[in-house]
Amino acid sequence: MIGNFPFVIVGFLFLLGLYAVIFERNLIKIAVGVVIIEAATNLLLIVVGYRMGGSIPVYTLAGDTTNMVLPTPQALTLTAIVIGLATSALFLSLIIALYRHYGTLDVREIRRLRG
Amino acid sequence: MWPTIYSGFGFWDVYSWIAFFIILNALALFFRGQGRGDYKKGTEQDEIFYGGNEVPEDGDDFAVPASSAYWGFTEALKGFYTKLLDLHTGLATDYVGYMFLTAAVLMALIVL
Amino acid sequence: MNWSEHLPALTLAIPLLGAFGAPVAGIFGRLVRNVWFLLFSALTAISTLLLWQYVSAQGIAIYVLGGESWSLALPSGMSLPIRIILQVDAFSALMALIGGIAMFAGAIFSLRFMERFSGLDKFVTLFFLLTVGMLGMELTGDLFNFFVFLEIASIASIGLVAFWRDKPEAVEAGFKYMLVSIVGAMMVLIAVGILYGRYDVINFAAVAQNLHMGLAEKVALSFVVIALAMKSGAVPMHMWTPDAYGEAPAGVTCLLVAVSQASLYGLFRVCFSLYGATMGSGVVAWTIIILGMLSMFVGVTMAVIQKDIKRLMAYHSVSQIGYMFLGLGVGLLAIADPRALGEYGMTAMQGGIYHLFNYSMYKGLLFLTAGALYYRTGTRNLNEMGGLARSMPRTTIMFVIAAAAIAGLPPFNGFVSKLLIYESTFAVHPILPVVAMVTSVLTLASFVKVFQTAFLGPARERFRQVREVPPTMVAGMAVLAVVVLGLTLFPTWSLANMINPAAEALVDKAGYIKAVMGGGF
Repeated sequence: MIGNFPFVIVGFLFLLGLYAVIFERNLIKIAVGVVIIEAATNLLLIVVGYRMGGSIPVYTLAGDTTNMVLPTPQALTLTAIVIGLATSALFLSLIIALYRHYGTLDVREIRRLRG
Repeated sequence: MWPTIYSGFGFWDVYSWIAFFIILNALALFFRGQGRGDYKKGTEQDEIFYGGNEVPEDGDDFAVPASSAYWGFTEALKGFYTKLLDLHTGLATDYVGYMFLTAAVLMALIVL
Repeated sequence: MNWSEHLPALTLAIPLLGAFGAPVAGIFGRLVRNVWFLLFSALTAISTLLLWQYVSAQGIAIYVLGGESWSLALPSGMSLPIRIILQVDAFSALMALIGGIAMFAGAIFSLRFMERFSGLDKFVTLFFLLTVGMLGMELTGDLFNFFVFLEIASIASIGLVAFWRDKPEAVEAGFKYMLVSIVGAMMVLIAVGILYGRYDVINFAAVAQNLHMGLAEKVALSFVVIALAMKSGAVPMHMWTPDAYGEAPAGVTCLLVAVSQASLYGLFRVCFSLYGATMGSGVVAWTIIILGMLSMFVGVTMAVIQKDIKRLMAYHSVSQIGYMFLGLGVGLLAIADPRALGEYGMTAMQGGIYHLFNYSMYKGLLFLTAGALYYRTGTRNLNEMGGLARSMPRTTIMFVIAAAAIAGLPPFNGFVSKLLIYESTFAVHPILPVVAMVTSVLTLASFVKVFQTAFLGPARERFRQVREVPPTMVAGMAVLAVVVLGLTLFPTWSLANMINPAAEALVDKAGYIKAVMGGGF
């Protein structure tokens, strides 16, 4: 069914990001995987609030349509994007610090703490 | 007498335990007080017995290190510990892998 | 209008002001910043105490942010709960109180402990932000808000774990914790999105009122349970715990313990108040019990062989989390059956919540003593320590109190909560208390090892200069030691006035919903 297609995309993106996080070796690629997971989550929130044929949830700009897209998930998504930006920035800065200390971006070599 | 906590099968009363410990300590101190006070100070009776050898100056030379504690326990459970330590790889990606493995198992159980 | 109505918001606002005022206070020098740090941590602790008192006296407190009423009534008469609310019941208030005490002790301890390092304005800011994240998770009545506070706590705790960023291990620990916590938080957000898609509300109470189990709810439940179990450090998602707890500065680790309890709070809030008896089957309850048993056993066996003192204690946190999972999981198992709940479920939950309180206090104290040892000896390796009881008598006393409590030696408080858990879980299956008792024995064994190698034994030549830690650090430890002793000496009072209301609030899903939704929706 065409209506469920966005959810399939969300699931695909999530699994793609998960694959990158679990099986990739390069720290930057892991970070990209994390960002893909975040994108999938944001997309899920948008898709949840979307109505077929709905208009933008701004009363003065919506025109004479009666169907509006629910604004709350969009507000949630904006918040989640901002949080995602902060976590991505912190994550990348930690990767820079790790590269300075360990001289490598291979996650297999960054395991002094174990056992 | 004193307020007690009932757990359904038994009860807990902290003050009788404290009384018990006070009595036990008094007894221990009493027995300790019965020991001999007539040893000769400053002779070899006063010194630490270290297998007949000289006691080293620095504690480092005769202390038992922490990793030697419970050697028998870890030796007996060697197979278990090798497996357990193999699981703790320290790989950041494995941490996420374990989390999703558990999530997948729970999801399978809960949906079925 | 009575000012105490604003306590839920004040409890969050005070540490937020402390966080963003700290760099400003830092301009005026070290003394002003330290006074600021101490003052605001004390105020936060006091406000959590007042909040707990208020909730004990008045019942559930609701605070609507940015409005008078939590709902919006449309002209057609339909009303929707759209505003962000803080909902504080007895369980939340108890958790906030625990967090407040732990952060106060950690703050006093950190004053001197962190003195040698630069960038302390940022340290104070992150410390308060972590407190805000923790308290927010415990006080909020809104699913999305819970996610936001979870992320605030994650980001702040990663900044603090990797605070000594010139140490490779600290950055590594921060990286690992960050990777799992971002992915875990995304799982929580997906669950929130799914629930929002089903019910069009993100209010805990409103979702709980309408909830009926379907495929989407089951997926959301499993995501939330696993993500929050990871954040609280249950086996097999516990691997970040020794890294992060071991590498963070000691005062921060004391707070991190309380933050992991906030995740535990979220887990049980979702399981009891959101799903509750509608869960239908015992799958989740048994999963929590089995995760708890695994945590207890694996955590403690890993702890026995550690030689880094803070990693050893961190593995004990994993094993202690297992007790709470066991106690509250048995409560969750019994929730649909009033007879079982009366016979053993309530006792198990009381034991679990009491253990949670005890654990946060004595585990924080243990991490602070480990920090005191590190402060004076400069090492965390147990092989290199020895004979420190002579030079650090006060730290030794604190350590003995905490170690006896965690090992469950009578008459200390750890024994009471463990007793309640043993005797109630026995009714479910005898293997549960057996595992718990074996864990308790091994806990005692590993703390005997720490005590014997670090404090007893012959004096080491290189520790001749070691003295007792400064008075403020002793004071930080003393705060927690006093609470531990208080819980030891007055178990009846604390059980009746603190633990039992919390356990009843957790079980009472209808009351939780009614406090917000009133009659209908």
